[in-house]
Amino acid sequence: MNTPVIEVDDVWVRLRGQTLLEGVSLKIYPDDFYAIIGPNGGGKTTLLRVILGLLTPCRGEVRINGSRDPAMRKYLGYVPQFRAFDFQYPITVREMVLSGRLGHITHRPRRYGREDHARVDETLKTMRITELADRQIQNLSGGEQQRAIIARALVSDPKVLLLDEPTVYVDAPTTVEFYDILDHLRRRMAVVLVTHDIGVLPGRVTRVACLNRRLYTHDNAEITPDMIEAAYHCPVDLIAHGVPHRILPEHPED
Amino acid sequence: MFEVLGFEFFRNAFIAGMLASIACGIIGTYVVVRRMVAISGGISHAAFGGIGLGYYLGIDPLAGAAGFTVATALGMGLLQLRAKQQMDTLIGAVWAAGMALGILFVYLTPGFAPDLFSYLFGNILLVPRGDILLMAVLTAVIIAVVAFLYRELQAVTFDPDYAKVMNLPVEGLSLLLLVLIALTVVMLIRVVGIILVIALLTIPAAISRIHATRIWSMMLGAAALGIIFTVAGIWLSYLADVPSGATIILVSTLAYAGALGLERLRQGG
Repeated sequence: MNTPVIEVDDVWVRLRGQTLLEGVSLKIYPDDFYAIIGPNGGGKTTLLRVILGLLTPCRGEVRINGSRDPAMRKYLGYVPQFRAFDFQYPITVREMVLSGRLGHITHRPRRYGREDHARVDETLKTMRITELADRQIQNLSGGEQQRAIIARALVSDPKVLLLDEPTVYVDAPTTVEFYDILDHLRRRMAVVLVTHDIGVLPGRVTRVACLNRRLYTHDNAEITPDMIEAAYHCPVDLIAHGVPHRILPEHPED
Repeated sequence: MFEVLGFEFFRNAFIAGMLASIACGIIGTYVVVRRMVAISGGISHAAFGGIGLGYYLGIDPLAGAAGFTVATALGMGLLQLRAKQQMDTLIGAVWAAGMALGILFVYLTPGFAPDLFSYLFGNILLVPRGDILLMAVLTAVIIAVVAFLYRELQAVTFDPDYAKVMNLPVEGLSLLLLVLIALTVVMLIRVVGIILVIALLTIPAAISRIHATRIWSMMLGAAALGIIFTVAGIWLSYLADVPSGATIILVSTLAYAGALGLERLRQGG
């Protein structure tokens, strides 16, 4: 049995008197395509921030590759929410992707070496944005911007790719293309996808968990009505509109 | 226009304007892309408290302003990073407190503080030789720091969360940036005065940003624009016999309005 790349162990987060996460435990294995769903404000982004070391939990701990060392974060690739970006920032696609290598550079001052540039060229090619390398990120389409953001996460050879609501601000064809890319990537690394949109979950997801302060897990890729009810605190209609890969079970007949 | 170069104080004014423009182009670029215009305003008004303190203690007001302003910038930065205080409220409080302290210290100082007006509104035509040397040293320090930490500062100002995930010293770099802003502000107090510091720090960088694709090209553009504005401002103020600091700022503001208008036309057309 392989060891988990990420272990979240009984994590509690309280901010300004509000409990955002309550005893959340989670293990992510190298071959996982893990989807975490749940309502807005359910703590999905908070959980990602705890895993990334951007937020210190008041109880519990996170281990990456079995270690609590912050240096282990270089094995994480992070794709933040689209709206978190200032696309007006004067930076080219190549510079932005290169910056993803900074965590691997140990000498000071940090300078990009030949290997860094080679890895960037390779990643730009993987994401099919080589010809956009010298454009400013503002002058790209939404789908191209998203591929550039993923490229920055991939260029550091992560063991896990963490994605926060990646499809919220992109159109339907881009979403389809995006899931094709993820399909390709998951052969190389674990993928953790956080979304409130249960209609877009692709068929390739290996495990699903519902998060609404507490985490409701299920060890296969099925969302059961009681998981949803537990997480959303109300019955939810499991309908996916026009999505080819459904993982949602049929409605139980009366 | 070249006859003005015969006067030493005009030559000094041009040199001071150029040094200020280079420092402002570099630091102002970070101020604009990281949206730190308000905090720069707070820091520059806090500097007034430092000038008052300098008078009160009988030391060089600029030295007092430098120490006080850097300390205020660090304090604000730490409060924001650690205590997660609401920044605009904090800036408002520091802004007001800095001005109030300045007034009180100057009031308590025996005798009249003669140079106060020049610190408030600046007088680039009265920049002494020693100050020019100080400005040159500071500009060199800013260039060296930014050249050394270009990649780190880019990562931190573009996406601080991602920089943290990559284990960069985000807190230290953010505070370093605030210290550089504070030092630039103090240096600029002589040239254009506290009131007008924000404009010279932001307007050239804001215009340069419209067409810049990289941080360093935005810095170069901002520095060049700053030099053009200060030289044009000094020359126009000489012709019209009006205060130079205010003229520099009005020239910059008109250029900014023009650049925004042109950009609008270009996008509309």
